[in-house]
Amino acid sequence: MTDTILELDGVVKEFAGFRAVGGPQGLSFSLRRGGFLGLIGPNGAGKSTTFNLISGVMPPTAGRVTFDGTDISRLSTAETAALGLGRTFQTPRAFASLSVLDNVMAGLAHPAEGPLAALLGRWKPAEAELTGRAEAALERVGLIARRHDSVANLSGGELRMLEVARQLVRAPRLLLLDEPTAGVDPTLQGKLSEILAGLHAAGTTLVVVEHNLGFLMSLADSVVVLQNGALLAEGAPADIRRDPAVIAAYLGADHDA
Amino acid sequence: MIQSLILSTLMFGAMFSVLTVSLNLQYARGGMINFGTVAYFAAGAYAYAIFTQEPPSGLDQYAFGFDLPWWAGFLAAGVAAMAFALLTGWPTLRLRGEYLALTTFAFAEVLHSVLLNERRIGNGSVGMANVERPDPAALGLDDTLAYAAAACLLMLATAWLFRRLLASPYGRLVDATRDDETAAESVGKDTARVRLQIFVISAIPIGFAGALYAMITTLVAPALFTAEVTFFVWIALALGGERTITGAILGTMALVFFQELVRIIPFETVRGAQVAASVEEVITGILFILVLRWQPWARLARRAGA
Repeated sequence: MTDTILELDGVVKEFAGFRAVGGPQGLSFSLRRGGFLGLIGPNGAGKSTTFNLISGVMPPTAGRVTFDGTDISRLSTAETAALGLGRTFQTPRAFASLSVLDNVMAGLAHPAEGPLAALLGRWKPAEAELTGRAEAALERVGLIARRHDSVANLSGGELRMLEVARQLVRAPRLLLLDEPTAGVDPTLQGKLSEILAGLHAAGTTLVVVEHNLGFLMSLADSVVVLQNGALLAEGAPADIRRDPAVIAAYLGADHDA
Repeated sequence: MIQSLILSTLMFGAMFSVLTVSLNLQYARGGMINFGTVAYFAAGAYAYAIFTQEPPSGLDQYAFGFDLPWWAGFLAAGVAAMAFALLTGWPTLRLRGEYLALTTFAFAEVLHSVLLNERRIGNGSVGMANVERPDPAALGLDDTLAYAAAACLLMLATAWLFRRLLASPYGRLVDATRDDETAAESVGKDTARVRLQIFVISAIPIGFAGALYAMITTLVAPALFTAEVTFFVWIALALGGERTITGAILGTMALVFFQELVRIIPFETVRGAQVAASVEEVITGILFILVLRWQPWARLARRAGA
């Protein structure tokens, strides 16, 4: 087993022939197992597109994405998820007709999820244990009291936490989080920070796209900075903060971090 | 007369309810618009006729008649509808919304045209008359009563099985797939498979209903399986509210009752009957518009929820 869990090698994404629109252009970086990578950069740098390419929402035009030794460049989202990859979305996605609890339950791989098992009632034995796991995840993100609510009643920040809970129950080996603190209040941010630190300590590899640098820099052990789809800088958080190129392109001269 | 009105409403109402309940599963739960419902219905009816029909003789132009007992034909009807759903669903289910609606509609038209022009399947436009059917008189039952009971049984079985199918983790998966495919895939769900499964599963009872229809009318001909059937079923679904199985059944029963009511009015002249038939269609249309405009079922549901 290699020490590298995720590797991007010369990844290019063209949208209808245009390279300059928000897609990576020959992006390469790798991530060690158990690492916590912060992915930052100005708006339109290609951060979310990079997530979409890794998780199979769209295929790269060129280049290779390798996850734990497997080439996942051409795999679908469902296939990368089955390999142990988890992700959240920049705009939170919830199953609108399901309750908060069912939204998390839907994230679990039920051992008897097929139509035949449904008709025969074979799903019942496993359901209690899975409900317990989903409730534990809701407890961790602070939504346990809302478990029977409709997701329509959740705020934007709560929806983000719901997405995190849906991934938590799956215990993915690699978790990609797209702006997890956007719209989340300071109390929940504290909770989220604890959860991510806990996952990191437990060995989950994390990649987080975030504009809230105070939050990110306290957690990440390495940072990749993107600009116009290319790698601008890569290194430890403290070094990145002092990098003149990063300050000019993203942080701004007056940043006081 | 009242008795015959009730019986024929129950018979056709329950039979068409099987179609609306299946459509309810496809549309309200699966998020797929199928405007080719009649094709699966026709597949069932033709399969039943072909399997139970005696081998061709004399002027018959059809190529196959297996002369099997009614239950074999009934099973064949379910299999035929399922096979046709697999065949049409596999290439088309990547399409969304109105694109899927148009494609399924086109498939139904193609099937209709094939049945009309390829005489070796079912005698072309003449169709197959005197379709074999179990004789309720052998059990000492009245024909209409027996077939009304059979239709109700098929309807209740379909509703019960669908409810059981959806009140499970599978139902959760189906809802999640309809709500947000990308999110469902991000937790490892094969949404393409779920959509195809729902499409195929819901076609099976439609095929059974087709077999029952062939038994009731004892005639299978292309003229019986036009897009009108599809629209009738969609209107019934909209009238009853597509959210619940009970709503789908009540909507269908109401629409069929209304049609049967017009049918039993004794008319002195042919002209009178023609006018009544037109008025019936106009009133159906007006009812449809009223329900769509004011959505009484959604209001009721909101009131019940609040």
